[in-house]
Amino acid sequence: MSDVYLDSSAVGYRARARRLTLVAVGAFAVLFLRLGHLQLLEGDELEAASTRNFVRTVVLPADRGTIYDRKGRVLAINRPSFDLYVTPAQVKDLDGLIAGLRDVLELDELDLVRLRERIEEPRGMWRFRAIRIERDIDRKRVAVAESLRARVDGLSIRVRYQRDYPEGRVGAHLVGYLGKPTAQELEKDVEERYRADSMLGRFGLERRFESVLAGRDGFERYVVDARGARQDDGWGERAMAAIQSARPPERGHDITLTVDIDVQRILHEALADYESGSAVVIDPRDGTVRGILSKPAFDPNLWSGRLTPEHKREVDESPYHPMLDKSVHAYFPGSVYKVVTALAALEEGVLDPEEPIESPGSYEYGNRTFHCHKRSGHGSVDLNGAMAASADVYFYKLGETMGIDTLARYARRFGFGERPGLGINGEQSGTVPTRAHHEANTKGGFQHGLALSTAIGQGDVRTSPLQIALAFGALANGGTLFRARVVDHIRTEDGRVVSRYDSKPVGTLEADEEHILAVNRSLERAVNDPELATGHLAAVAGGRVAGKTGTAQVRKIVRGHMRQAVNRFQDRDHAWFAAFAPYEAPKLVVVVFLEHGGSGGKDAAPVARRIIEAYHQRIEQVFTTTARNEAKPR
Amino acid sequence: MTRAAAAVGRIDWTVVGLVVVLGAVSVINLHSTSMATGTTVYLRHLYWLVIGLGVMAAVAAIDYRNLQRLAPAFYGTVVLLLALVLAVGKEVNGSRRWLDLGFVGFQPSELAKLAIILTLASWFQRVPRPGGYTLRDLIPVALLLGVPMFLVLQEPDLGHTLMLLFIGGSMLAYERFEKRAMLSVLLVTVFSAPLIWSFVLRDYQKDRVLTLLDGKADMHGAGWHARQARVAVGSGGLVGKGHGDGTQVAGGFLPENHTDFVFAHLAEEHGFLGAALVLGIYLFLILAALRSAVQARDKFGGHVAVGVGALIFWHVVMNIGMVLNMLPVTGVTLPLMSYGGTSVLTVMAALGLLLNINLRRTVF
Repeated sequence: MSDVYLDSSAVGYRARARRLTLVAVGAFAVLFLRLGHLQLLEGDELEAASTRNFVRTVVLPADRGTIYDRKGRVLAINRPSFDLYVTPAQVKDLDGLIAGLRDVLELDELDLVRLRERIEEPRGMWRFRAIRIERDIDRKRVAVAESLRARVDGLSIRVRYQRDYPEGRVGAHLVGYLGKPTAQELEKDVEERYRADSMLGRFGLERRFESVLAGRDGFERYVVDARGARQDDGWGERAMAAIQSARPPERGHDITLTVDIDVQRILHEALADYESGSAVVIDPRDGTVRGILSKPAFDPNLWSGRLTPEHKREVDESPYHPMLDKSVHAYFPGSVYKVVTALAALEEGVLDPEEPIESPGSYEYGNRTFHCHKRSGHGSVDLNGAMAASADVYFYKLGETMGIDTLARYARRFGFGERPGLGINGEQSGTVPTRAHHEANTKGGFQHGLALSTAIGQGDVRTSPLQIALAFGALANGGTLFRARVVDHIRTEDGRVVSRYDSKPVGTLEADEEHILAVNRSLERAVNDPELATGHLAAVAGGRVAGKTGTAQVRKIVRGHMRQAVNRFQDRDHAWFAAFAPYEAPKLVVVVFLEHGGSGGKDAAPVARRIIEAYHQRIEQVFTTTARNEAKPR
Repeated sequence: MTRAAAAVGRIDWTVVGLVVVLGAVSVINLHSTSMATGTTVYLRHLYWLVIGLGVMAAVAAIDYRNLQRLAPAFYGTVVLLLALVLAVGKEVNGSRRWLDLGFVGFQPSELAKLAIILTLASWFQRVPRPGGYTLRDLIPVALLLGVPMFLVLQEPDLGHTLMLLFIGGSMLAYERFEKRAMLSVLLVTVFSAPLIWSFVLRDYQKDRVLTLLDGKADMHGAGWHARQARVAVGSGGLVGKGHGDGTQVAGGFLPENHTDFVFAHLAEEHGFLGAALVLGIYLFLILAALRSAVQARDKFGGHVAVGVGALIFWHVVMNIGMVLNMLPVTGVTLPLMSYGGTSVLTVMAALGLLLNINLRRTVF
């Protein structure tokens, strides 16, 4: 028995040993808790992290659906595109690779230095990630790159789809373009349909029908080790068994439109002399859109992932707002709106179309003077004469009699104030001003004089070219207002029709047939009256066109400064022409809108005439032979 | 013969049994590494374990009071070896920790732990202070501890430097000190911490600490290791992915999975059940050491037992704490589980000391 140790101090050792025991048990308790926390509480999350380590997913991109015109010609299609990649970890002969790439890509010295830096820069695991050196190389370069790939390590060529728009800028607003998803969109994408490098519809029909066109990407998965080497046997095979190994891509559906590429080209050519505007052609019998264009346009091929700084600058710096779809944007309609006033007055019983009304150069109302565009006035005119000459005072008087809310009621029957149903590009409903509207929005509230401006399409009236087309369509077909129809049908790859879009009446003018005829007659006079017609430049040889000019004042007219020479583009008037043809049995409605384009009669009417003539010659003979013979040669 | 038979009957067979179980678990675990890498690391580990059991038996057989007499010579030899390793050691990854003996590599810093245990225990035995040790008594203790610590730090090997400090500190905690001495130790610790941070730690060591505090692992080097260890442990769940099916191990995502991060390997393939079993064995061994300490025949025996318990405790806490992302990454091995000859032999020798003291205890 030892002596020193087992004296009274043994009690102290025992106490300290107990304390050390407590410390050890405490420390182990912490380890146990942490272990349990990681394995039992965070287990799922960390298992996912572990799976991400060893699973490589190769995305098999879905082929996006094609967009066709009414005759099956391509407006938007996917084509294979070849991108060049370098994986730094696999590069054995960097000098050889760089020299080879110089030949493939025709790079200068500076590019080569940058390229070398990009390949040498990645560290650690990043060296196993492929870097994209060049995208969308042409076939000839693919061949050269292929032969280089056989000689050096680390180079790869990947195929992906590139969206192609064969018509380019023609009709770009309607078809649209694609773009990468934003960070927020990716966050909200719970179904994981998109990845950072996906392309989705950003504009036009590409955007509206994204869910139909996109299809669904597929994938292939395999197991890799930390070096990225594929593991198909042993542990890799067993790990693979727990995960879904592949899903085939589902191709998107194809869309066939009602528009005709040839009509689009006609509209494009007809607007060639004007910087900014829109042209719309519809079939008045069912609201089908045959052509719809906005100017200036952007190049969708560049916007879909290959935007160059030059084109971006061109679009950004243009004063004509190329990214705005003017066919569905609302502007002052000016005198084309007089059809609303005329039909309203006939229906309200306040107008006899044959009774001449004094229409001087100006009209005193309250303490204001309302001018006519023609200072000398038009004398005494009936409805035909007033419409033909676009006599403002005639319509001021009708507006004064009926009041603004009566005008609004009829305007709504024409579809104004409602979206025409294209569903793209922030389509506007426009404005149908009422008493309440002015009470709420006009400084000084409503004044009865506003009814006069409204009657000639000024004041607060706003309509889009497409709305005007559908409104004139309703007159032309005898009273039925249709929804704009631009998609004919959607079908699967193997031709099964998924949905068909039939024409859809959304209302009627609720007007007496005689009254509609009276308005239409006056529109025919507005083109063909030998003395008065403001729209005579729209008249075609071999057929009768009915239509109305519009010259909408953009700048507030200051007394005494009317018709001053305006040089600035933004100060010039909007020029409109809305027409249907042939007058006897209308088959097409044409609307031309020239933003700050000058005069409806001098500028817009000839454009409309060219469209109608080209349509008749190149698309469909709308004028009958009889009508042709009747017409006087011009 | 009867004496020998009686001695065999008094051996703590529970400790021996648990050591064998731990060894078996580690061989099974390393077999999975062998499958993944195509090496025979599990066999070599088995050989070291068998040799280690022999060392344990040998150390247990000699009466520890004879070992006490050898302590100064052992200490001197170890200090010489530590100096020698700085001069002629094999350089691996920028540090000199290994002496190359031709057929086998050998780490003197492992032996330093045993030297500290034996030397401090021997000093406490020779210098009794029934009223408690004073501040002045701490000077020789600090020197005995400081010299090997300084040499190990030069290798550099922060993990083992701390290990020596912690083992020494634990043994001090088993003694009685005057209040003044305790207060001084506390103050010195508090005030030297910033100095150690600025002048002793190297940048990469600071990074590891900061990485841990940040919570954001830098995705290269130590941060990557720690992150992958956490993923391995967590993805094991309750029962693990199964022997040979730990994707972190087999795919090579978990580095050092047979040495420093062997516990993550175990936790991935055998889950919470396997990991908790091993953790439990360690706790039992530490408690057995503390029990042996109070039952020891003399102060030397008591302190050696505490030292052995501390050695296992700090190795386990620092290693598993690192694997579970609670402590910075230091190259501290997990006793008997980590592959490595010197480490296995050191731990086996320490366990031999424990059996030795237990065998020659006074209380039954």
